[in-house]
Amino acid sequence: MPSVISVFQRLQQAEDTARPPHAWLGALGGVALLALSVLFIWGGIELGVGSPRRLGTGAFPVLTGIALALLSLAVIVMDLRDTSDAERPDWLAFAAIGAALMVFASSVERIGLAPGVFLTVIIASLPDPSLPWRGKLLLGGIVALGCWGLFIGALGLPFDAFKGF
Amino acid sequence: MEIIAGFSHGLMVALQPENLLYCFIGVTLGTFIGVLPGIGSMAAIAMILPLTFYLEPTSALVMIAGVYYGAEYGGSIASILMNIPGTPSSSITCIDGYPMARQGRAGVALFASAIASFGGGMIGMVVMAVLAPVLAQLALNFGPTEYFAVILLGLVAASAVSNGSPVKGVAMVVAGLMLGTIGVDITTGAERFTMGIPELRDGVSLVIVAMGLFGVGELIVSIKANASGAHQNRIDYAQFYPTRAEWKAMVAPILRGGGIGSFFGALPGTGQTVASAVAYAVEKKLSPARARFGQGAVEGVAVPESANNSATQTAFIPTLTLGVPGSASMALVIGALMIHGIVPGPRLLVDHSDLFWGLVASFLIGNILLLILNIPLIGLWVRLLQIPYKYLYPTIIVLICVGVYSINNNVFDVWLTLAFGWAGYLMRLFRFEPAPLLIGFVLGPMMEEQLRRAMLLSRGDAGVFLTRPISGVLIVLTVVLLVWSILSALRAKRRVRAAMRSAE
Repeated sequence: MPSVISVFQRLQQAEDTARPPHAWLGALGGVALLALSVLFIWGGIELGVGSPRRLGTGAFPVLTGIALALLSLAVIVMDLRDTSDAERPDWLAFAAIGAALMVFASSVERIGLAPGVFLTVIIASLPDPSLPWRGKLLLGGIVALGCWGLFIGALGLPFDAFKGF
Repeated sequence: MEIIAGFSHGLMVALQPENLLYCFIGVTLGTFIGVLPGIGSMAAIAMILPLTFYLEPTSALVMIAGVYYGAEYGGSIASILMNIPGTPSSSITCIDGYPMARQGRAGVALFASAIASFGGGMIGMVVMAVLAPVLAQLALNFGPTEYFAVILLGLVAASAVSNGSPVKGVAMVVAGLMLGTIGVDITTGAERFTMGIPELRDGVSLVIVAMGLFGVGELIVSIKANASGAHQNRIDYAQFYPTRAEWKAMVAPILRGGGIGSFFGALPGTGQTVASAVAYAVEKKLSPARARFGQGAVEGVAVPESANNSATQTAFIPTLTLGVPGSASMALVIGALMIHGIVPGPRLLVDHSDLFWGLVASFLIGNILLLILNIPLIGLWVRLLQIPYKYLYPTIIVLICVGVYSINNNVFDVWLTLAFGWAGYLMRLFRFEPAPLLIGFVLGPMMEEQLRRAMLLSRGDAGVFLTRPISGVLIVLTVVLLVWSILSALRAKRRVRAAMRSAE
C-alpha cells in the first residue's frame, strides 16, 4: 500500500515542475458556454416561445441563451488574445475529491454510513502525502465514528450505520 | 419612535432561548470557518442550509446571518497571525495586522480587530434599522416592470463590478439564469431541460449548487494552498490590551470605516471586500498616522475590520426589502427564506416584522457573542489554526456528502454535487467567478415571472421598461454601469500591457 502514496508523490512532483498552462486554455470555458447556450436556444424553441404578450415556456431560455451565446463569443475572443499564464491546476486534488464523493454516493446505501464515511475519508486524504497511511486509516475511523454518533445517534437521521454485513 | 419600538420587539424575539442558541451556533461556526484559510462563509452557509429547513424561519435567518458576519471576525485572525486572509475581505487587514504581529503586537492587533468589527457591526445595524423601512416603503409602489428592472440592475451590478473580467461575470449570471429554468415551469406546468430525470422536476436544489460550486470547488483549491503550512506568529498575552493612546487612535477610524462600509454593503455588487479596500484607502489619506500605514498601525487594522463588518450588516437591506441580493451569500439568504415560503420584498417588513426586527436585534446579540468569543477565547481559535489541514479537509468533504445526502436521502444529489464541484473548480481555473452564477440561479425564476407579468400587462409592448419612469431610470443605470465596468476593465488591461512593455 505505501507504493500508492509514492506514486502520488511522484505524480505531484511531475505536476509541480510542469509549465503552467497558457491562459488561452480559458477559451475552452467560453466554448463550453457557447455549447450550453445553443442547447438552451434549441430546447427553448422546441418548448415554444409564445407571443410577446403571453411569453411561452421556452421564451426565457431562448432570450438568456442568445445573451449567453453573444457573451461567450466575447469571452472566447478575449481569452485567445490573453498571453499570460493561467493558474496551475491541481488535478490530483480534483480527482481525489471527485473520487471521494463518488465513493460516498455509491457506498452509503450499500454498506451503510460508517464504512462509507471511512472509505470517503481515505480517498479524500490520498492527495496529501504528508499524512502517513496509518494516519489516514485512523482519521477515517475517527470521522466514521463521529458521523455515526452525530448524525444517527444525536440527530436521529434515518441512515443505516452498517448495512449488508 | 417606530424604529425603537420595532427594535425592542426584535430584541424580545432574538432573546428567545431558541434564537439565542442558533445565533450562538451561527457565529461560532462562522468564526471557525473564517479562521480556516481558503474556505469562506459561502461554503459554511451552504453546509448549514439543509439544517435550516427544520428550523423556524427567524431562527434559520439568525443562524445564517451569524455565520456570515462571524466569518468576518474569524477571517482577520488568520490575516493577522499568518498573513493569509481567512476570508477575501480580510485581505486588507493583512497590510497592517501582519506587521503588528511580527513586532510582537499580535495581541493588540487581534483585540483592535475584534473591537473595530464590533463597532462597525453596530453602525451597520443602525443604518439597516433606519434605512430598510424607508426603502421598503418606496418599493411598495413597484409593479412587475420595476421589479424586473431592479433585478436586472442587481444582477449586472453583482457581476460586472466583481473582480475579474466583467464580460465573464455577466456570462456567469446569464448561465445562472438558464440553470434556474431547469424543472417544471410554474406558469405553464411544462417540464424544461429535465432530460427525463425525475429528481430534476423541482429544479436543481440551491443547496447542491452552492455546496458544489463553493464547498467542493473551494476545497479542491484549498488543499494545495494550505499544504505549505505558513509561519505563524506567537501571541504575547501580556500585551493584549491596547494602550490608552491606541484606544484613542482607533475611535475615528472605526466610525469612518463603519460609515464607508455601510454604504458599500448596501450597494449591490460591492460588498465587504470593496468596502474595506475603500475605507483603508480613505483612511490612508485622512489619518494623522498615515506615515505608519503598512508598518503596523493599529488604525490600519481597525479601519478595514470596521468597514467589512458594517458592510455585512447593510448587505441585508436590499436583500430583504427588494429581494435583490448583492452577493452570493445574500442569494443563499433569499433561497433559505423562499424554502420557508417567505418571499423577500417590501412586504416582508410588514408581513414578517418579527423576522426583520428579530434579525436586526440578533446583530447586536451576535456581535456581543463574537466579542466574547474573540477576546477571552482568542487562544482557542489560535490553537485551531495549528490543526493541520490534512485532518480537516477530508472531514469537511464527509460533512458535505452527508449534508447533501440528508436533504432527500437520495444519492443522486451527491452525484449532482460532484458535477457542480468539478464545474466550480474548472470555472476558477478558467477565471470565471462562481458567485454571479449562484446569484443568477436564485433570481432567475423571479426575473422570468416578473418579465412575463410585465409583458402581459403591457400587452406585449417591451417599450414599457423604458417608458415607465422608475424602470426607465433603472435600465439606463444598468447600461451605464455595464459600459463603465467594461471600459475600466479595458483601461486596466491596457495599463498592464503598457507596464509590461516598458519593463521589457
